[in-house]
Amino acid sequence: MKIALEKSLALPVGADAGWKLVENIPDIAACMPGAQITERVDETHFKGTMTVKLGPATVVFRGEIEVASLDAAGRTIHVLGKGADVTGGSGASLDLTAQVRETGAQACELAGRSEVNVTGKVAAFGSRLMSTVTDQLLKIFFANVLAKAQALQSAAPPPVPEKLNGLALIWAVIKEFACSLFGRMKAG
Amino acid sequence: MDQTVQNSGRLEKLEGIGCARKRREDPRFIQGKGTYVDDVKLPGMLFGVMVRSPYAHARITKIDTEKAKAHPGVHAVLTAEDLKPLKLHWMPTLAGDVQAVLADGKVSFQNQEIAFVVADDRYVAADAAELVEIEYEELPAIVDPNHSMDADAPVIRPDLDGKDVGAHGKRRHHNHIFNWQVGDKDKTDRAFADAPVTVKQDMFYPRVHPCPLETCGSVASFDPVRGELTVWITSQAPHVVRTVVGLLSGIPESKIRIISPDIGGGFGNKVGVYPGYVASIVASIVLGRPVKWIESRSENLSSTAFARDYWMTGELAADENGKIRALRVNVVADHGAFDACADPTKWPAGMFHVCTGSYDIPNAHVSVDGVYTNKFPGGVAYRCSFRVTEAVYVIERMIDVLAQKLGLDKAEIRRRNFIRAEQFPYHTPLGLEFDSGNYGPALEKVLQAVDYEALRAEQAQKRADPDCPTLMGIGICTFTEIVGAGPSKSCDILGIGMFDSCEIRVHPDSSAIARMGTMTQGQGHQTTYAQIIATEAGIPASGIAVEEGDTSTAPYGLGTYGSRSTPVGGAAVARAARKIREKARKIAAHLLEVSADDLDFDLDGFKVKGDPSKTKSMKEIAWAAYNNVPDGMEMGLEAVEYYDPPNFTFPFGAYLTVLDITKKTGETKVRRFYALDDCGTRINPMIIEGQIHGGLTEGFAVAMGQEMPYDEQGNLLGATLLDYFVPTSMETPHWETDFTVTPSPHHPIGAKGVAESPHVGSIPCFSNAVMDAFAHLGVTHFNMPYNNWKIWRQAQALGL
Repeated sequence: MKIALEKSLALPVGADAGWKLVENIPDIAACMPGAQITERVDETHFKGTMTVKLGPATVVFRGEIEVASLDAAGRTIHVLGKGADVTGGSGASLDLTAQVRETGAQACELAGRSEVNVTGKVAAFGSRLMSTVTDQLLKIFFANVLAKAQALQSAAPPPVPEKLNGLALIWAVIKEFACSLFGRMKAG
Repeated sequence: MDQTVQNSGRLEKLEGIGCARKRREDPRFIQGKGTYVDDVKLPGMLFGVMVRSPYAHARITKIDTEKAKAHPGVHAVLTAEDLKPLKLHWMPTLAGDVQAVLADGKVSFQNQEIAFVVADDRYVAADAAELVEIEYEELPAIVDPNHSMDADAPVIRPDLDGKDVGAHGKRRHHNHIFNWQVGDKDKTDRAFADAPVTVKQDMFYPRVHPCPLETCGSVASFDPVRGELTVWITSQAPHVVRTVVGLLSGIPESKIRIISPDIGGGFGNKVGVYPGYVASIVASIVLGRPVKWIESRSENLSSTAFARDYWMTGELAADENGKIRALRVNVVADHGAFDACADPTKWPAGMFHVCTGSYDIPNAHVSVDGVYTNKFPGGVAYRCSFRVTEAVYVIERMIDVLAQKLGLDKAEIRRRNFIRAEQFPYHTPLGLEFDSGNYGPALEKVLQAVDYEALRAEQAQKRADPDCPTLMGIGICTFTEIVGAGPSKSCDILGIGMFDSCEIRVHPDSSAIARMGTMTQGQGHQTTYAQIIATEAGIPASGIAVEEGDTSTAPYGLGTYGSRSTPVGGAAVARAARKIREKARKIAAHLLEVSADDLDFDLDGFKVKGDPSKTKSMKEIAWAAYNNVPDGMEMGLEAVEYYDPPNFTFPFGAYLTVLDITKKTGETKVRRFYALDDCGTRINPMIIEGQIHGGLTEGFAVAMGQEMPYDEQGNLLGATLLDYFVPTSMETPHWETDFTVTPSPHHPIGAKGVAESPHVGSIPCFSNAVMDAFAHLGVTHFNMPYNNWKIWRQAQALGL
């Protein structure tokens, strides 16, 4: 199944500082809950893992990330990822373009557009949860990026990124689901 | 004792045709004492688990089985490379295609079988299956069959590269399987061009799954010393499996024994031969130990034999009064990645050409294109004869669409088009000969039973009231099925004619054993076949043991599917019993010292014409068969019959349902479902009623909830019972049943078959009722399943 996402986040730092955050792959990856860069193969290729909790199941994806293009002048990065879960039952691919746009002297916007494709058991069994879980992961990701940016702004040492908290995530998913039901009822 | 009372006592004891005899199968089932494949446990038995593809379409670049092989308790990990030297990595399908047993360099549907891990038990095997490392190069998948033949469509079957001709004629694209046409195209086109009224409707019959409670499985046990292979298997057609296994393995059929034990529901899902069966057999041959393979629920729902997936366009041409002049149907049939349809060899779209239905339609033309997609293979008859559900659906929907266009009542348009009783045997424009029918009275009986006029009046009142919170839909379906495949001149599977067989041995004490080539899976053969023998040979049913499913003891038969047991197997039973009766007549004549012509058969024995005091019972005759037979006669009382039917049989029915739909929620309630079936001579009314209840419930399931949704990448999103709708008693409506009796003139006892009619007839009945609810708002069709969500969306779209 295909999940297309388009999100943006206002950061309280200048565009150049914002870009520095983004172009550092291991650092930015660490902001994503459950994600980890395990090996830098060369300048543009990385290996990593991503742990996702989908309801009662935990899936560990192992894969490769390729920086397909990195345009420092345009502050744009294009990343391709591909992985499979360690049990071989699911596959995933990612096509992400992120751009840092200047919005003020000490303000910028991180805009991302991504397409995630999931196949196998995760898609077959997790389709209902997928977009809600993705949404929650992104919220945590953005909170982590924002915290890093704020730390940059105050020149304090960067905080330890927020870890994936299973219970909190489950609660958020339930809350989101309940809201969506309520929203649907209102729409009706 | 009074003669009538005495006769009625004898009749009761016989429990013959027409008696509501209790099912002989039930005591073991309701006590949990059935023996299913998973109950078979042999010394030293190992367990196999399939490693399956997460991708719908991908090239396999590497398979590493080392870690799995090193896992404690693992005995073997088979891949296509291991099967290649044995030439078992591909197998023939029943449809004349081939199917990969284990993926040969490429996967073409999600959950396709890639490797078979054999271990001490299923848990170890499942753990080790996760250690098989496979690398894939993903390829674009085709999910929508309407795009299978696009110019730039990816090649699903490179093994067919360059083959312009398939098992069913010319292929015009690399993803094309066949084009099958029947009827006179020119005459039909002319009839359409000249007709004052024409209607056309696209409709999609979704991919569904028979979903039997017991999944598929096998236990293979190869004896290397004797060179004999025994396989316990969930098969509706054990003899066909033996032939396929023999063809594949090179082992002579005399050294292969296929045993179908109790089957927990088949509904077409257990007709085919699956990779798991073959893998367990190979593993047993390689390892010299028994190997069991049992599917999980999700494996069953995602890899073994789906049904339907037909994209149909129906057209009718008619005069202003609604008299139909022509029918035209075009179909795109999604067969998945391999053509593993279970149809008679010469009929790639099965009996779809029964689609002129119960109506006297002078011209018709049908064209079906079968195509490959990246979905699992199948296309079986899910509780129906081959593609008959699709055929009945298209004509029953179209006649309603026509009625709607003409503003005609939906019962009235049927009356105007029915084949009349005096037209039988009726030759359809698509080449079939309907044996018997009496459609008009059946419909009138139903209309009267439900007070149709009052229902229509209530509906009109509700439609006129804008504040009415509900919509009311009345659905009618007057279907004709075609069952009992079939005459060997037109029907075969793998070159074997679709006859069926029966062997009866009457013991000296007059009890008997009867064996058949069919295979019961809930139809109650142990009960009903004994009833046929009781009536035909005069032996009480309680003394007759019925055995099926063991190829070492049963005569060769083509199995049970497509409602063929009664029309073909049942006919063989009746004729074998008559052979017993005729030999018994000669023995009785010898014992009574009269001519055989002077004897009348009388329930359970013979009496001399004109002297009813001189009689010989079957009990006395059976004893004499083993010690006192006429000169020149062989001892014993046995008979064998291989019955090749002269024609199909054509059961029919008239169904009516009333639905109440809540406009604001889409909630749909079945207020009433009245089903009248005519299956010819009724062997056991209680079993018929049970079969009808089962068929209606599965029809309700298909119409109101079942589907196998795929996303664009070919991920199957409904392969669990969380998603796939299997109705329980909570959801199932109340069924009202009724019957008429129009015997088949060519069947020995006039029976036609019944188990599938209610499935075939109820689905369009539900569709017609849903459309009828929305008809006054201009809706002619939307696709199944009619879950509350879909109905609600339709109501919303209309601003209700």
